[in-house]
Amino acid sequence: MTQQQAAAGPDTVLECDGVCRWFGGLQALKGISLSVRQGEILGLVGPNGSGKTTLVNAITGFYPPQEGSIRFLGEPIQGLKPHRIARQGIARTFQNVALFKGLSVLDNILLGRHIFMRPSSLASLFYWWWAQREEVKHRLRVEEIIDLLQLEGVRDEPVEVIPLGLQKRVELARALCAEPRFLVLDEPMAGMNQEEKEYMVRFILDARDAMGVTMLLIEHHMDVVTAICNRAVVLNNGEKIAEGPTREAINDPAVVTAYIGKMQDAA
Amino acid sequence: MFYRLSGIKHTRYVSARALWPIPADRRILYVLGALALLAPVLLSDLYLTSYMLPWLIWTAAALSLTLLMGMAGQLHFGFAAVLAIGAYTSIHLTRAGVPFELALLGAGLSSAVIGSAFGAAALRVKGLYLVMATLSMQYLVEWVIVNVPAISGGAQATLNTPDVRFLFVPLQSDASLYYMALLWTVVVTLLLLNIRRSSFGRALVAVRDKDFAAAVIGVNPVRFKLLAFFVSSFLGGVTGAILAFCYYQAVTPEQFGFNVSIQLVAMVLVGGLGSVIGAYLGAGFVLLLPILLTNLLAGAAQIDWLPISFNLIAHIPLMVYGALIIGVILFEPLGLAKIYDNLRKYFLVWPFRHTQS
Repeated sequence: MTQQQAAAGPDTVLECDGVCRWFGGLQALKGISLSVRQGEILGLVGPNGSGKTTLVNAITGFYPPQEGSIRFLGEPIQGLKPHRIARQGIARTFQNVALFKGLSVLDNILLGRHIFMRPSSLASLFYWWWAQREEVKHRLRVEEIIDLLQLEGVRDEPVEVIPLGLQKRVELARALCAEPRFLVLDEPMAGMNQEEKEYMVRFILDARDAMGVTMLLIEHHMDVVTAICNRAVVLNNGEKIAEGPTREAINDPAVVTAYIGKMQDAA
Repeated sequence: MFYRLSGIKHTRYVSARALWPIPADRRILYVLGALALLAPVLLSDLYLTSYMLPWLIWTAAALSLTLLMGMAGQLHFGFAAVLAIGAYTSIHLTRAGVPFELALLGAGLSSAVIGSAFGAAALRVKGLYLVMATLSMQYLVEWVIVNVPAISGGAQATLNTPDVRFLFVPLQSDASLYYMALLWTVVVTLLLLNIRRSSFGRALVAVRDKDFAAAVIGVNPVRFKLLAFFVSSFLGGVTGAILAFCYYQAVTPEQFGFNVSIQLVAMVLVGGLGSVIGAYLGAGFVLLLPILLTNLLAGAAQIDWLPISFNLIAHIPLMVYGALIIGVILFEPLGLAKIYDNLRKYFLVWPFRHTQS
């Protein structure tokens, strides 16, 4: 354990050490250790049910790990409530879009600023003298993100009427508005066509360059993973089976076996 | 055409987030506001005190409930108990010599504290189970009021409201009572509209829709569920006090029974969950429609258009009323507010037909 910590340099943003999680008799995570370095995009891949999302849920506090530790910028965060972890500077998007229906795209993105705002009913009552200035101040920041992700056209639409590709982008915008140090993207390209995928890749790279945010990317599209991830970690059955520079990691024989079974001599 | 959008360009974020950015909406509002202010002059005393006044107060009650049920998504089937706590607290406070302004505040606070204590159940349960928890509030509060003589003034007792002044204006004439109710309803309306466009309201909606996604952006679901109960019960408590002082002027526990809770839920649902204008329409529908139907039928019977028994005349309005409630919900599940919205959108793009959403 101490070795792992020593190995993690000062530029480590997130560090998982021996993270275990059981659901009843099923051990979904079997002592996962990984570290994410400042400024990189780390790919997290693995077959279905390998524990990728469970690991992310452990990091963001939904399923706190029963064993092991998770450190964010050196501070232990395992066991904290999700909203506390969010305030520490970890944001995430969800595999199946988790936007708030009934609110406009703009309101959804404004919610990303929640941790910087001081919501209260009294401020709302005296809106013109109290809440308005804060709203405008954060609107300015939100508009920058809207510019960055090219969402100007759908700003005022109800979020449920826009296409899935845009919804995923709105979710990314909402996460970026919290100005996170560390962003978890859970399958941001699921269900997208090639063009939407390429847009999304562009936006993810833009966001990293513009905001310096470190990312963990869960994705099944290997072309995307090899294109934008600096390193990759491969999970299978709750165990880490490979880690390293992206191409090396996903060409590892153990990874190929996990995905498509034993390699035949002929193949 | 009627709601012209051409030429409305927002160059500042403040104006883009104005409550009524479209001039046509503002014009309708000016007219309605003027009518509301002139109501004591325009309407006879009967219409003012037995139609307009209760309509406004029940609208305030429906608005308080729609904040909780519509925006925050927490079901509450015991809201009459919240009103009752406010009504009894304000009466006892004013009787003890506390100024009416402070008594209103006290009414709101006591309702808010007790209301959020029961609302704590919402932290554990949702949906039908929360309905049961809030129903228990209805019966517990009712039982306590009836059985504690210090509160109800004894078995079968009626508590008269003392004469009070609000900001140096004695609340005695019909007009002053009406303006008091109007003031409160306008305050609640503006509060709800402002909550909806500020961070507080967004957080409530976030917790309602997906509490896990709310948590991941830093919204504490526990805190905002409790705050929803607190604010909504506070508004309900003050509304209860206004109801007691401006309308009933004498309170008994029966005025805040279970059927009142159900009526409030009906107002919110028929009007449209979470909608501000829906609260006005819903309260009007639930409160005024039965009266209107009864008057219509009685009038028709009087001039021998309806040769039927008195018994039937008394019951037909109830049947029609029930059918109308079902009809509205079937025709437009989002309530009267959505019907209004559809009409508005129709005129917004007239003579074209298509609108998004």
